[in-house]
Amino acid sequence: MRIGVLVKQVPATENVRIDEETGTMVREGVEAELNPLDLHAVEEAVRLKDRLGEGTEITVISMGPPQAQKAVRAAIAMGCDRGLLLSDRRFAGSDTLATARTLAAGVKKAGGFDILLSGERATDGETGQVGPAVGQVLGMSVLTFVSAVESAGKGSLVVRRAVEGGHERVEAPLPAMLSVVKEINTPRLCTLGGKIRAKKTEIPVLGADDLPLPAEHLGLPGSPTKVVKVSYPQITRSGKKVSAADSVDGAVEEILSVLRGRGIV
Amino acid sequence: MNVEYRGVWTLSEVRDGRIHPVSYELLAWGRDLADTLGVPLSAVLLGSGVTEQAPDLIVHGADQVYVVDDPSLGHFRADSFSKTLAELVNRHKPEIFIASATSTGRTVMPVVYADLATGLTADCTELGIDTKERLLLQTRPAIGGNVMADIKTPLSRPQMCTVRPRSKKPLPADPSRTGRIIAEKAEPGALSSVMKLLEFLPEKNVGAPLQDAEVIVAGGKGMKKGANFALLEELAALLGGSVGASRTAVDLNWAPYSSQVGLSGKSVTPKLYIACGISGAVQHLAGMSASDTVIAVNSDPEAPIFRVADLAIVGDALEVIPALIGRLKS
Amino acid sequence: MTGTFFGNTDALRERYGKITPEILREIQEAAGAKNVVAGDPEALESYASDEAGIMFTSMPDAVVKAESAEQVAAVMKVASKYKIPVTPRGAGSGLAGAAVPLCGGIVLSLEKMNRILEIDPVNRVAVVEPGVVTNELCKAVAEQGFLYAGYPMSTETSFIGGNVATNAGGGKVIRYGNTRRHVLGLEVVLPTGTVLNLGGRIRKDTWGYSLMQLMVGSEGTLGIITRVIVNLEPKPGKTVNLLVAFPDLDSAVDSVAKVVRTGISVISCELMDKLSVNIAASHVNTVLPYQDRADAFLLIQIEGDSDERLEEGYEKVGTLCLENGALEVFVAESRTESGMIWNIRQNLAEAMRAHDPYCSLSGDMVVPLSTVPEMVEEIRKAGKERGIAVGILGHIADGNLHPIIFKPAGMEPMEWAEYAEAFYDDLTSVAIRLGGVGSGEHGIGYVKMPIFLHSKPAEEIEIMRGIKRSFDPDGILNPGKLLGS
Repeated sequence: MRIGVLVKQVPATENVRIDEETGTMVREGVEAELNPLDLHAVEEAVRLKDRLGEGTEITVISMGPPQAQKAVRAAIAMGCDRGLLLSDRRFAGSDTLATARTLAAGVKKAGGFDILLSGERATDGETGQVGPAVGQVLGMSVLTFVSAVESAGKGSLVVRRAVEGGHERVEAPLPAMLSVVKEINTPRLCTLGGKIRAKKTEIPVLGADDLPLPAEHLGLPGSPTKVVKVSYPQITRSGKKVSAADSVDGAVEEILSVLRGRGIV
Repeated sequence: MNVEYRGVWTLSEVRDGRIHPVSYELLAWGRDLADTLGVPLSAVLLGSGVTEQAPDLIVHGADQVYVVDDPSLGHFRADSFSKTLAELVNRHKPEIFIASATSTGRTVMPVVYADLATGLTADCTELGIDTKERLLLQTRPAIGGNVMADIKTPLSRPQMCTVRPRSKKPLPADPSRTGRIIAEKAEPGALSSVMKLLEFLPEKNVGAPLQDAEVIVAGGKGMKKGANFALLEELAALLGGSVGASRTAVDLNWAPYSSQVGLSGKSVTPKLYIACGISGAVQHLAGMSASDTVIAVNSDPEAPIFRVADLAIVGDALEVIPALIGRLKS
Repeated sequence: MTGTFFGNTDALRERYGKITPEILREIQEAAGAKNVVAGDPEALESYASDEAGIMFTSMPDAVVKAESAEQVAAVMKVASKYKIPVTPRGAGSGLAGAAVPLCGGIVLSLEKMNRILEIDPVNRVAVVEPGVVTNELCKAVAEQGFLYAGYPMSTETSFIGGNVATNAGGGKVIRYGNTRRHVLGLEVVLPTGTVLNLGGRIRKDTWGYSLMQLMVGSEGTLGIITRVIVNLEPKPGKTVNLLVAFPDLDSAVDSVAKVVRTGISVISCELMDKLSVNIAASHVNTVLPYQDRADAFLLIQIEGDSDERLEEGYEKVGTLCLENGALEVFVAESRTESGMIWNIRQNLAEAMRAHDPYCSLSGDMVVPLSTVPEMVEEIRKAGKERGIAVGILGHIADGNLHPIIFKPAGMEPMEWAEYAEAFYDDLTSVAIRLGGVGSGEHGIGYVKMPIFLHSKPAEEIEIMRGIKRSFDPDGILNPGKLLGS
């Protein structure tokens, strides 16, 4: 079985700054890491490989600047076999559609997969739509919010999906694209051996010319959505502060008056 | 340019055979957009045996309803729903198509937009029209709520987005409204699904799913131990709400992941959010600061949660909450 | 040596003045009425003990939450006039009972003096009030590209003032030294109300005896710290964290000296034995890899100025551990992975307390690195002989060990307090025999006082008492601590 994992490198902080002029994120001096939610996709891939045994190979694919190979290596250190980085200045400015098309082309170039995994979303863009879109472009079964892979093999798999009010068990044919939620597993720590192996693993880098994609599908020109303005939200409310140290009853009375005011009691 | 694309569409959501109220919130957004543009507002309704509920969508603001009523659409499946929707879009060409950022919306829309090769903006909290360009203006938080981005889809059609549940109140039901209900057929190929729904396992949780809840009582590390979440469940039950949790509380197994609020959990926008013993890390604030009213109880007077609170109670949640429960019961 | 529990402090209390309504009024005038708590047992109770544990409790008569050095000085003048005992208090996170008001009187809390006054990039210092949470200081200076290198494990709760008063150590001492090394200047209020400004924004000072260094680690017995000037380090290079599982404690301990000798820049080197890991892991609801098979874990943080150097560093250290019998070496480079590794260590103390509210966290002996294996062996032996469960933690590369002991079921808390300290006293004697001391970072406070007085040469104690007298002739500052009464 051939398994693929899509990963993204993201800033390792929530306190990002935006360049007011360009409207883009200031990445200078900001540590980057493998998207924490993608760790669960990598972990699930490695567990699937353990379950399926011989003949299963995992390829991790990322699109990003050259430094993003670090994220690919981090996934290899956890137990993936091979890596592929899609990197080209012409990919810059890609929205989710352009990203999905580029990644899909990369997946094809890598020979395609029976199962393709991604995290639920990246912690920077937070769209959660790249994985499913890649699956659709490649004609795979698209399964989102996957919280367990119950069985996989013989042309189909059974997963659990976390949806409003509970979980559903779904059977779908392969090839399938799975975006997984955090609760699916606990990612493993990588071993020194894994790190050393990852360091030695050659990670091919493919650019725009290596992918069978027309130029108008790439980067900014290939992105239907445009960010026209970026602003910092003001989430500060000047709420009333009451100390319960003096009187718990007084504090409770304040809460009740808000509840009454909002028509809740 | 895309002059042939006209009109605003909303995707109606059906759960357990009934139209879910989140569909009416979308109609409220859609009504604003359609009126500004001077075009009709259409609701799309997919399901099995749902035609008789279509008038409810008119009553809540739609001018017309496209209904695909077919036994094969009885349960949500990503492939048949998205194929059917893509077919309808190609047939009728709306300029704007919006859905809720629920698990259904966030599953089906990415498949549909990739199929149509247009733009899709995730999880918007605000929508408007740039009247000069006749473009949909989509506003969404990103990077843990640190940043709000305004996004447009200048050329591709339809302009698509998902909208955060509870970002707008439904319009009051108006039984005098009239509109057309249009029965649509989809190609058999579109209606067929390769996916099989084997079983639904309901969550054992108090109240409504978190994103639907009008009231959320959430707990964090200040609840001291998992057993104390029973207090939150009791309070939530009294207020007709659901229980949420901070990431720390979920990591400590005091609450299930499905109740995690924040960046790596759910974004919620209830009428009332009561944060109990939650300090309010940026990641948590990102998921709840858009709530209508926030009451926070925390013993640390400097807790960041107080910055987003309408009422800040400096005190031990384990003292305040039981006292509140006592008062509510009496 | 027993007698750690307070027993009867009445005799001690007799020596001091009582807070009469008139004196209370004077205190209120000195500090502002809103800053004085008195007559409300519930409000006073949270100032009656610290993290030494619930066995060590003594009620204050009043709590003053001062807002400025002037208020502190004014209160001290009143206290001095009427011989009222004053116990300074920071976050109350100390483990030796130093902040417990043994003789009643006033607890002088510095919690309201919590401002970072200045971050001075030219002189590379930060000027702060004593009530700043150390972690807040670390975060604020990091934003400006600096490092405050003090890192007690209680960094999220403890105050900088308390760190200075106890000369706190913690997880980064191997690389940066303890708090003493980071303090450049202090403003101190003496028992008489006199305010001294010691040191300053300078790193060289041979201008007489260093009273400033004397203040560091004096546990509130010489003066009250009202302002601190700390040294800031340049932001460190990149770091990586290794979690190393060992089949037995000996091979873990044995590896440490070898790791240190590589010359690779080690920032932290923490030892956790099986029992500690089991308790902490279950508290944070996780399982470490090899937790079932490993008897000990080392948590090693390494620094490097480039990715290459860092890689070289962790490969060398990791390989060395494997050659020395380690079961596996895990490498965490990213923020998320490092968080997974440190989570257990950072929650250890809380986990222990949750597991057994009577567990004693006060063990804090230090020995030369070469004798750590022997010290560890003695700790295990002592636990076995007495039949009590011992968890062993340590800032192992400093030779600083924290044996943590759990109350046997059925033992009375009072008996347990004495039993626990007797246990530590014996181990302290061993540490001294091995060339070490009884406390590396927690301080003496009340809990460690008997063994301290018993084991230090009398001549040294006499000189210390002389110093104490010249600062505090009436003995009103933190009486009954460190040097006794």
